[in-house]
Amino acid sequence: MPNQVTPAAPTQPDGRSVVRLLTIPAPPELWNIVLRHAASGTHVIVDLSGVATLTNLEAAMLLELVCEGKERDVSVRLSGLSENARQSFVGLGIEILQQQDTAAPRFSAVERVGQITLEVIEAGRRLLAMIGEIVYWSLLAPWRGKGVKWDRINEQIVKIGLDGVPIVVFLSFLIGAVLALNAASQLRQFGASIYIANLVGVSVTREMGPLLTAIIVAGRSGAAITAELGTMVVSEEIDALRTMALSPGRFLLLPRIGALLCAVPCLTVLANLAGIMGGYWIGVVVLGLGSRNYLQQTAQALLINDLVTGMVKSVVFALLIGLVSCYRGFYVRGGAEGVGVNTTASVVTSIVLCILADAVFTTIFFYLD
Amino acid sequence: MKTTPYVQVEGLVSRYGERTILDGVTFDAHRGEITVILGGSGCGKTTVLRNIVGLLTPASGRILIDGQDIHRVSEEEQEAMLRNIGMSFQAGALFNSMTLEDNIALPIIEHLHAAPRTARMLARMKLGLVGLERAAHLLPSEISGGMKKRAAVARALALNPTLLLFDELSAGLDPVTARELDELILSLKHQFDMAIVIVTHELGSIQMIADQAIMLHQGKVIASGPLREVQAAEHPQVRAFFDRRPRPSETRNGLLAAILAEEGDARG
Repeated sequence: MPNQVTPAAPTQPDGRSVVRLLTIPAPPELWNIVLRHAASGTHVIVDLSGVATLTNLEAAMLLELVCEGKERDVSVRLSGLSENARQSFVGLGIEILQQQDTAAPRFSAVERVGQITLEVIEAGRRLLAMIGEIVYWSLLAPWRGKGVKWDRINEQIVKIGLDGVPIVVFLSFLIGAVLALNAASQLRQFGASIYIANLVGVSVTREMGPLLTAIIVAGRSGAAITAELGTMVVSEEIDALRTMALSPGRFLLLPRIGALLCAVPCLTVLANLAGIMGGYWIGVVVLGLGSRNYLQQTAQALLINDLVTGMVKSVVFALLIGLVSCYRGFYVRGGAEGVGVNTTASVVTSIVLCILADAVFTTIFFYLD
Repeated sequence: MKTTPYVQVEGLVSRYGERTILDGVTFDAHRGEITVILGGSGCGKTTVLRNIVGLLTPASGRILIDGQDIHRVSEEEQEAMLRNIGMSFQAGALFNSMTLEDNIALPIIEHLHAAPRTARMLARMKLGLVGLERAAHLLPSEISGGMKKRAAVARALALNPTLLLFDELSAGLDPVTARELDELILSLKHQFDMAIVIVTHELGSIQMIADQAIMLHQGKVIASGPLREVQAAEHPQVRAFFDRRPRPSETRNGLLAAILAEEGDARG
């Protein structure tokens, strides 16, 4: 049915005009019909005496019309509402009309930069506070009779370290094998296949072992830490802990960071061994290099420096993953969705920071060597 | 003659960002008395409790517990104060990874340095007080909302505190359990001379247990004093609450008046 509308009556001397609607069209059209001719500061009366009933949706559209009018400085009023149609509005307060400005305010580019700067400063402050808590509970508090919760650290070491061994070993073995295969196709041309041992040994211990372990731990345990702490925040468990005079720093933060600092270097050693074994398997079984030769070559190629480099990296990676995942967990906002968002952010941030740190370290060690 | 108040809340102002939640709230709570905080949803009742227990820092005003300002003492002193406060949260806030008895044993092990077996026995005793001894080995996810609430009460009692804070204690409980909890709280008050502050909506429960009442409306105290006096107060919000009257209709029908044209306008 075409919308039956009487054309807006000419504006009265007192600035009022009347629009008679027989149906309620959807908003852009509704606004066009009602507000098209209305100048700022005028009154429009929408005559609904031809409308017998209003659906909820139509009632909402009419309220939207009133708000839209207000924004254009046009006072829109309804008239001729049947008793039935009035029921849609009975019992409601005027506050409904004032809720229109809930959309996030728009900021200029400069304001955004300022806002982001403030957020970064706030994040830095919180992070420093967290580091302060770790230092306090690990170094100072034990002197005041509040020892480190070793049982909780052990519990976390099992979750993060022991339970992670199979996946770390398996993936590192595969990476070692893949490295060896890729190297083989090049080195064979020069009859230098035995140098596969050097390549695999050095790249796994200096680079792939620590990095791969960090990525796996960030994905496996970092995500778990953020999700667990975040859920505890949402369900007020952390608040409950505080009201019992039990510090979240001592009971939740330190055990996780401590466990990561123990578990990640250990996992890295295993990853190194598994990676070298992956290369060994390709070298000896597939390419037919002598077993003893291969191992001797690896031992000769590896310097203590390579192992130390890898270990230093792994400790830094552990600290980064721990700080990021705990920070993201403790500062979850917005319920279940917030936990999801922060868990994703935790993994992504951890991996990005680990790779960045790796690049910095590799550059530093390159020049030191 | 009244003793010195155990809890003194003086001119408490609390804000979340730019929103003022509490605006100059003042009241006292005494040992051996039950103080109930009343008011509609969103009037700031829970915020009062969170300020008392130190989870929120007041924007201004102060909170004295046994003469000490919980927000201005050293960390050690605050810890000692918190050991004397037991709080149960609206949704329980039990540790979901622990069984009920471990939930209650945790503060006992940490603060009383009890052996785990002893702490668990004590935890079961506390669970027995709220009728949950058979659920001691269950995880919070395995019990109902009402049971969680009772377990939270048991955990609040773990360290025999002198101040108990309960948020929405009997909401969502069946009448029998709610009544049992009320009786438990009354007996705690008499036996241990505790100061008890309860946020609640349940009129039946209020009538049964409250000695003092504070009514909040939009962050302000609109009535306070002995329950009988508060109940008799003339403030429309107090009347609406105790007489279970819907809010005055002029505030609820404002929309219709605002959008309708006056009679005769349509003929313009």
